[in-house]
Amino acid sequence: MPEHAPFVSVLVSFASELRSAGLAVGSGDVLTYCAAMAPLDPTDLLDLYWAGRATLVTRREAIAVYDEVFRRFFLAAGDPVRAMLTLKVEVTAETQAMLEVPATDPDSGGRTEEAMLGLMASNAEVLKHKSFAACTPEELAALRRIMARIRLTPPKRRTRRTAASRSGRAPDLRRTVRESLRMHGEPAELYWRRRQVRLRPLILILDVSGSMSDYSRHLLQFAYSAKRAAAKVEVFCFGTRLTRVTRALEHRRPDAALELAAQAVFDWEGGTRIGDSLDAFVRDWGRRGLCRGGIVVICSDGLDRGDPAVLATAMERLARLSHRVVWMNPHKGDNQDFRPSALGMMVAAPHIDLTLSGHNLSSLAELAALLPTLN
Amino acid sequence: MEYPDTVGKLTEILRQGGYLADRGLATALFVALSLERPILLEGEVGVGKTEVAKVLASVFGRKLIRLQCYEGIDTNQALYEWDYARQMLHIRALSEHQIADDEAVDKLFGPRFLLERPLLEAVRAGDQAVLLIDEVDRADDEFEAFLLEVLSDFQISIPEIGTIKAETPPLVVLTSNRTRELHDALKRRCLYHWIGYPPAERELEIVLIRAPGVSETLARKVVAAVHRLRELDLAKPPGVAETIDWARTLDFLGETDLGTGVAGDTLGAVVKERDDLDLVRENLEEITSGA
Repeated sequence: MPEHAPFVSVLVSFASELRSAGLAVGSGDVLTYCAAMAPLDPTDLLDLYWAGRATLVTRREAIAVYDEVFRRFFLAAGDPVRAMLTLKVEVTAETQAMLEVPATDPDSGGRTEEAMLGLMASNAEVLKHKSFAACTPEELAALRRIMARIRLTPPKRRTRRTAASRSGRAPDLRRTVRESLRMHGEPAELYWRRRQVRLRPLILILDVSGSMSDYSRHLLQFAYSAKRAAAKVEVFCFGTRLTRVTRALEHRRPDAALELAAQAVFDWEGGTRIGDSLDAFVRDWGRRGLCRGGIVVICSDGLDRGDPAVLATAMERLARLSHRVVWMNPHKGDNQDFRPSALGMMVAAPHIDLTLSGHNLSSLAELAALLPTLN
Repeated sequence: MEYPDTVGKLTEILRQGGYLADRGLATALFVALSLERPILLEGEVGVGKTEVAKVLASVFGRKLIRLQCYEGIDTNQALYEWDYARQMLHIRALSEHQIADDEAVDKLFGPRFLLERPLLEAVRAGDQAVLLIDEVDRADDEFEAFLLEVLSDFQISIPEIGTIKAETPPLVVLTSNRTRELHDALKRRCLYHWIGYPPAERELEIVLIRAPGVSETLARKVVAAVHRLRELDLAKPPGVAETIDWARTLDFLGETDLGTGVAGDTLGAVVKERDDLDLVRENLEEITSGA
């Protein structure tokens, strides 16, 4: 369709604009977009907008980016002060509609934080019991390498999915029939299926606020190794607000993964609002089933600036939604008779199944050892 | 029935079927119809994701084939299964009559003994069907792999028979409540649309269409109250389905106005969580006032 050629090139450059804004737009998607526009009216902004949204966007988070790029590309509005851009479009068809492209939050870019990493050999045995807060950068680098070797195995649960097995509850009819064909139709042996077991999901919620700054970076590193070690791990960070860093930690190179995660987290070393953050977690992720049947590990010192009632309700809901809740409080240290003095800890205590310290390597190893037994 | 050739006509057809689609959803559906691509609908609970498929089936006079996903769903429940009991009997019959030629054995894995499950049924029905794969996020992620072949090529490979391909692809609607992130491979094969809560005016229209007996004054008040409920910090904000339920409940009780008393008595139709109930009861006066 040569007469469409200039128009197609507009769509293609719009797609590449999206790509440079960070959206994963493949050439296949661009083809679909162009094909989608064929029966529509390319001069109608509404058609352009919605066809693009249906073909180029694959997750809800990307809609904001799409809106932003669409506005920049087709509407040429770079003014961030205008909160809402409303455009009335003449429509030839029967439908009258308004095109509303919501403005995106200018703060969502986030702060850049450098992930530190050095490489020096050190004596692992000494390091094992030294608190993270007291370690030199070189020692920490060594610790990180050891940490990467800790294997986390969450407890297992039985699933509804079945697999062939030597014995079991349900007969494997498909296999029995197949095998009986070999025996000239004589069902000589009955084969069985049995329900499979699967690892429970593991959810790490890390406090990265000021009072935890000595520990949070190592917890993030720990989260990275945990993500690589166990099957299904979700990682969140919070200070005053909750950020999901699971995607960032998927990077293959640890430095890059940690850097990405650090960039995603908005409020490094700021204040703490544990209650609000956990509440946000329960609302946005927990209720949708992310932690259902899973093990939730919260790493925080419990120094909450927010309302303790919010924390109490959030913890109660979290405990109901998940299988087990583990709280790692670095301030517990090696003290076995530790009694939480922070109000947040006291409020949360009734809903916690296990409290650990997580302030040094051996306590992280303790978590790894206790994890499979949390059934 | 022929497909409409403009977005406006599709919107009108859906409206006649009792579904009010906004411009975004209508465009997405229109593209899905004309490109013969599956469409993945995500959105809050109770905004009418499943309803889209039902209405599409009814307005185009097609059969709705529904696959409800759940954990552990596998090929036997989604694609096809062999009728083992009949196969066994057939084998016995064959051996009694001393028949063991190739043809008899081939028949054993022929169409006669094949039980259709929703996906196979949809592929066979082709454009006579609307396939609804409901709450695909509830299935475990292994299941998504089963779907890939069906969604990209509308074909199913059965080792014993071969590949069954749809002559003309069925219209496929997938819904997800986002309890987990779906695989990119699955999303790549679908168009995507996020359905949000409708603005008040549209929701009023929806209530009036879905619950025809309800008076406009009552419907207007209910919609206004629900919109205030959504502004409250509820753990589970009410969806459009709840708005309709509430309007119906009040209408059934013979109410024509939404008073504080009767609103409190019927809250169970919209608010379904204890903590939320407490919060709503505290603010009931404000929620039911005006409109």
